[in-house]
Amino acid sequence: MKKAIYIFSSGELKRKDNTLYLETEDRKNYIPVENTSEIYIFGEVNINKRFLEFASQNQIIIHFFNHYDYYVGSFYPREFLNSGYMILKQAEYYLDKEKRLTIAREFVRGAVKNILQVIRYYINRGKDLVKIDERIRELEGRIDDFNEIDELMAIEGNIRECYYSSFDKILQNQDFKFCKRTTRPPKNNLNSLISFGNSMIYTIVLSEIYKTHLDPRIGFLHATNFRRFTLNLDVAEIFKPIIVDRVILTLIGRKVITKDDFEQDSEGLIIKEKAKREFIKELEEKLSTTFKHRQIGKNVSYRRLIRLELYKLEKHLMGEQEYSAFVAGW
Amino acid sequence: MFIILVYDVGEKRVAKVLKICRKYLTWVQNSVFEGEITESAYKKLKLELKRAIVEDEDSVIFYILRTIKYSDREMLGRKKGGEEIFL
Repeated sequence: MKKAIYIFSSGELKRKDNTLYLETEDRKNYIPVENTSEIYIFGEVNINKRFLEFASQNQIIIHFFNHYDYYVGSFYPREFLNSGYMILKQAEYYLDKEKRLTIAREFVRGAVKNILQVIRYYINRGKDLVKIDERIRELEGRIDDFNEIDELMAIEGNIRECYYSSFDKILQNQDFKFCKRTTRPPKNNLNSLISFGNSMIYTIVLSEIYKTHLDPRIGFLHATNFRRFTLNLDVAEIFKPIIVDRVILTLIGRKVITKDDFEQDSEGLIIKEKAKREFIKELEEKLSTTFKHRQIGKNVSYRRLIRLELYKLEKHLMGEQEYSAFVAGW
Repeated sequence: MFIILVYDVGEKRVAKVLKICRKYLTWVQNSVFEGEITESAYKKLKLELKRAIVEDEDSVIFYILRTIKYSDREMLGRKKGGEEIFL
């Protein structure tokens, strides 16, 4: 499996001897180009066109994050899997309100089912979440009643808010109070972890989309616009609870990340580098964990699972098989 | 699969072989590389190396491990190179 590389240090990243080369103040590193799928850049790195050309040639996506870990953007190389047919299909399903709703609903349903799975795990471990579980189930029952995307988004938001409030009961940690979801900038420790995790999963899904014929610009739940990729946001909804949130809960539960890992800055909270590394390490571990997939009867990793989800969507768009979102069985 | 590559080639060709290996694997110490690699990349690597070396004089050995689950890696002395996903 090709690997993702995370760059925190500052230096110069370039093409050298037909491979990738990162020179920092104290080290020189060669990165095997044939074994790299994507690069995440958090540090201050200099890059030139020659390097970008080389990355494009080798189908390596480069994701950039700024000082506050906000997603800046990606160098999304020229599509190497070009399918006009798929783009037309995506557009067709987007423009037809009924068709778009069917897919959008499925994303929300998948997300909620996976949320409930996380909640159930903690109920089994004696956490008092029955009320929250009931409330989410009640909201879930209403997904089919809505016939507007906006309403669907709203109910999804309600469910997520309700779900995040359960984190306080799960963690019972004074340093990580949820209070309420805040973004740009996140106002407390837990919120900043959630934001960091979410932007990571968005880019991971984007990297997987790159390997399919789908166009990341056309999402179904999130409105397609002029600014950003949206299909990855849609698909990420399904995986946030079972990947990102589980990583967050584990790391705080095991006290790998504590309140000392955050710093207040004039513009917002900053997660210290050590904590970011721990987070990504755990996330990578999660992504490479394999389990036996029920339908295909083979061992697949979580990362592969994301790709399979995209293939299912392709099948749906081609009218071969109805799309149904992945729901974790554990 | 996971491979460990060691080479012993004529002085003139060392730099060439080194550069080829760097594209696919991680440098561990002089003349030693290791890393996870796909079947197809492994084939490409072998092909490239074959072109670069003189078969009567040089030698390259690949130790192939299907999985590193049951293996261990111990070290003595200073760490010179090795795989890292954080840079």
